[in-house]
Amino acid sequence: MGFNIGSVDPLFLACFAIVALPALAFGTIMIFTWRRDNLSLGISLTCSTIPLILAWWLFFTVKGATLAEPIILQVNWMVSDAVVVPFGFHLDPVSLLMLVIVATISWLIQIYSIGYMEGDPGFARYYADLSLFGMAMLSLVSASGMVQLFISWELVGLASYLLIGFWYEKFSASEAGKKAFVVTRFGDIGFYMGLVFLLYFMKDISLFGLGIADINNIGLTQKLTEAQITLCALLIFCGVAGKSAQFPIHVWLPDAMEGPTPVSALLHSATMVAAGVYLMTRLFPFFAASATAMAVVLAISTITLILSSTIGMVARDIKQVWAYSTISQLGFMAMGLAAAGLAHGTLFAGYYHLTTHAAFKALLFLCAGVFIHHFGTNDFFVMSKDGGRKLMIPMVTVTIAALALAGIFPFSGFFSKELVLAQLWHLDNKLWVGLGLFGAFLTAYYTFRVIFVLLFPRPDDHPAWQTYYVREEVAGHGHGAHGHEEEEAHGSHGHGGHGDHHGVPWVMAFPLIVLAGFTLVLGFMQTRIEKFLLGESHPHELNYLLLVLAVGCALGGIGMAWLDWGRARANWSGFLSKFPMLENFFIQKWYMDHFWRWFLNTVIYGTFSRIFTYNDRRVVDGGVDAVALGTIGSGRLLSFIQTAFLQLNLLFMVLVLAGVGIYLLMGR
Amino acid sequence: MTMLLFGPELYFLLVALVLFFFSLRRTPKVKADHTVATVLALVGFLVAVACIGQKGELFFKAYRVDLFSQIFKAALALGLFLVFMISRNLAGIEERLHAEFYLFLTTCTLGMMMLVSSVELLTIYVSLELSSYSLYILVPMRRGDDIDVEAGIKYLFIGAVSSGFMLFGLSYIFGATHSTYLTDIIPKMPELLASPIGLVGVLLSLAGFFFKLSVFPFHFWAPDVYQGGANQVVTFIATASKAAAVALVLRIAALGAGAGYDFAQALVILSIISMTLGNLVAIIQKDFKRMLAYSSIAHAGYVLIGILAFNEAGYSSAVYYALAYLIMNFTVFMVLNEVARDGRDLKIAELAGLYHRSPLLSMSLILGIFALAGVPPSIGFTGKLLLFTSAMNQGYFLLVLIGAVNGTISLYYYLRVIYAAYFIKGEGLPPIQLSWPTKMLNYALCATILFFGVAPDSIIELARAAVRTVL
Repeated sequence: MGFNIGSVDPLFLACFAIVALPALAFGTIMIFTWRRDNLSLGISLTCSTIPLILAWWLFFTVKGATLAEPIILQVNWMVSDAVVVPFGFHLDPVSLLMLVIVATISWLIQIYSIGYMEGDPGFARYYADLSLFGMAMLSLVSASGMVQLFISWELVGLASYLLIGFWYEKFSASEAGKKAFVVTRFGDIGFYMGLVFLLYFMKDISLFGLGIADINNIGLTQKLTEAQITLCALLIFCGVAGKSAQFPIHVWLPDAMEGPTPVSALLHSATMVAAGVYLMTRLFPFFAASATAMAVVLAISTITLILSSTIGMVARDIKQVWAYSTISQLGFMAMGLAAAGLAHGTLFAGYYHLTTHAAFKALLFLCAGVFIHHFGTNDFFVMSKDGGRKLMIPMVTVTIAALALAGIFPFSGFFSKELVLAQLWHLDNKLWVGLGLFGAFLTAYYTFRVIFVLLFPRPDDHPAWQTYYVREEVAGHGHGAHGHEEEEAHGSHGHGGHGDHHGVPWVMAFPLIVLAGFTLVLGFMQTRIEKFLLGESHPHELNYLLLVLAVGCALGGIGMAWLDWGRARANWSGFLSKFPMLENFFIQKWYMDHFWRWFLNTVIYGTFSRIFTYNDRRVVDGGVDAVALGTIGSGRLLSFIQTAFLQLNLLFMVLVLAGVGIYLLMGR
Repeated sequence: MTMLLFGPELYFLLVALVLFFFSLRRTPKVKADHTVATVLALVGFLVAVACIGQKGELFFKAYRVDLFSQIFKAALALGLFLVFMISRNLAGIEERLHAEFYLFLTTCTLGMMMLVSSVELLTIYVSLELSSYSLYILVPMRRGDDIDVEAGIKYLFIGAVSSGFMLFGLSYIFGATHSTYLTDIIPKMPELLASPIGLVGVLLSLAGFFFKLSVFPFHFWAPDVYQGGANQVVTFIATASKAAAVALVLRIAALGAGAGYDFAQALVILSIISMTLGNLVAIIQKDFKRMLAYSSIAHAGYVLIGILAFNEAGYSSAVYYALAYLIMNFTVFMVLNEVARDGRDLKIAELAGLYHRSPLLSMSLILGIFALAGVPPSIGFTGKLLLFTSAMNQGYFLLVLIGAVNGTISLYYYLRVIYAAYFIKGEGLPPIQLSWPTKMLNYALCATILFFGVAPDSIIELARAAVRTVL
């Protein structure tokens, strides 16, 4: 690199500090201070507070970076002749906004975790992993080239793996970590292949660093044919689908809830899973250049939306409900982007939904975390029985977040959902907007199922409990058990005691209030954010029909939930129980886990694995053994030259030298 | 003021004097000597670093101070300092000889420093012998059985024969060109190399440096000396002395740059044999130092790859590799020294359970070994990558292929070390306590191995700039 500090752009230094400080924290904690909880916490917090400040500073001060003309600051990281791999930062409104989101939520989660993880034996390791995640995610967001982005992408996956399996002594947690890692890797193979093909098609080795701006220009310059772009876009979308848990490889995300709840809030709802959608936004011009790819994306994300909403209707683990709602909202964002790509719209709708979703979904999870922490269960029915509504702050904030998720005015979700639906409305085929509305209806329904159950506890002798227990047997395992385990895994620290229902520590309450504030405010920032992102704000012509439909769907969902779960006579069975087949189908999660199990057993293990094992045993191992034995044998043979006879050694030296001399002289 | 150019050498001359007086004492003061020597060496390193920007010529132009020489001087001073740092437990050498140990290591360093600055044939020869004689004395200094004497004699004899070859070759060059100055000789070289006398002269002159570098067929001393010498002495031979040898081979090989295909071809053959022989025989070794000896033969083969490219990229990658090799080999030897506190020869199997005995040492070991094996993102990987790339660009595909295959073979015995340290349980062995300077050293080495592996550009740039002054 060879630069001196004096000549470096302060902007570059700021970006570098944002990425480097969490990395520094990770290294320091892992190597030096992992035995000292408080010191590690201090290091980690310092190294997330400074990036937070810097991110906001950049957000407000960086002028002149637009989507079309981003500010690119980079240095050459690896140089080999014409191949230059840069390391740097791509600053434009999209990345600046995402930097702020990631830094803010990471910081809030770190604060929150002080209370949540208190007394955990792996406290320092937890903060080290969070720092690793922070570094990887911030670098992913601001990367100037695809190589850096891909490396960060994988590091984020690694951090996710470490954090899901944080309580690794618990079998289900380590299994879930593995599942998440392998499934997302599956998508990443596609992503990687996409990059390789892109490089191959471009036939320009100087683009080896695959700058983001370069890729986005492909659509404009028409260097590639439509088919080539489609292939690459679809392959890259595989990575998006893996990370953002899109059908059919969404199966890892619900299991990822085995991690500590703050982790679920940070990684598996607000930021990391949004990385997939973020990548689509990042490469939006590229994706938009292929209508076919966008149509496929639209279809897949719509399936995801419906599938996960329906499963969310029957889950009884509060984290599972939010997990499926995350999947469905991610699908919703992807729909918004895909529709915009098809209808020549802007990336604003999908990205705006990402922004608002980050705030209210993190809030939902953090509230769930408070409940779980307090009651020692993940089952929201049990929480309700134990007096969940008496926890004032989380109950109020969770309701705010739920209203946002359902899309009720004036909460932020209303505005962003409205935009996405409007984007879908522009498509010729009205099926998409119909499905989107249906998804919104289901979302409102399952969200308020949780809220109503929590808000209106039933006395023990209420008939509703009958249904509950019957259902528990039908569902078999249920998810209630996890909660207890999560609490056990915490170790033996006493948390205020069950009797004290006001005992939400301020470190946990504070992030809730901040996020609730964001949820309330973000909706009204719509024009400003749009102006910031696109440089101009289009006056949205209000489509009253759509508005009525959307609000109707949301209110309909809530009303339905009220009938099934809220009112005093409701017996907690839900309208779905009228269709037992369908309900069971949803409880079994559309048999997707079964499908993958079957697929693994028959196709991977049964066919490929067997063939390759045979090949490995007979051909590879045999060959390797032969080579290895031969190598060792030749080693023994050669060691005979090394005799103790000095005379022979010297003679040998002279002979060899003479031989070389003769060779040289003969050569002329 | 011109003598300031001679600063690092003068400083080490003074240090040698101080240490000489230490050696005159009747009753040795082991700890005090060690502290003084280490501090002096550290100051020496700082002096050498401070002098890195110097440029000029001395002693009737027989001595050139440029970036190339100054970088290597800093590296040599660093090597000396590092070896002194791990000499706190000098169990392998009798206490009354400790002062001599420091003295001769210092004179050896002095000799090598002069070696890297010499641009005149006789100066080169004298400096080379100054460093060699010191080592001839140091190797048999070891306490205990007679294996050290055998090693010492072998080292002396092979060294003497190589020196003989070298002198003979230098006399040919002098005879043909009527000058002992490299600056005069190099312009005449292309013409001279067309005649047998020039070819034989360059080839024989290289012998002396191939001996230092332990390139086939001058490698016979390495296994015995590595095993027979005291651990700290071997550490010095394996690190600093290799770096100096690379520096000189680069200067001399520049003579052969115009020789073209045949000459390069001869070096290719030597390189391939060195690599293959070193790696294959290393596999069956049980003694850790002996294994490292064969690994050093293999590494000499790798360095030759960079040299025979005969261009800036090749030379700079050889310089990078020499510096990297100094660090990574030292790391491994430091672990060896810490584990074998009593100065014994360490079997690879004796590393068992190191992971539990000292996690820090095993981390250093794993990084050092991975660097030697060329696993990314270590400094060794980058070094190998640079060497192979430079050879590839010159069209030596087969050589690179063989080098890569050799890298794979070497993984086998390197990983055996890791396997012993991490996966074999060492029953009942006590944990290893490290003093705080050793801990700092460990962290610094690990950080260096990783940092310059990930961000090698600054060192590469430095190496390029240095090489430009030679070519």
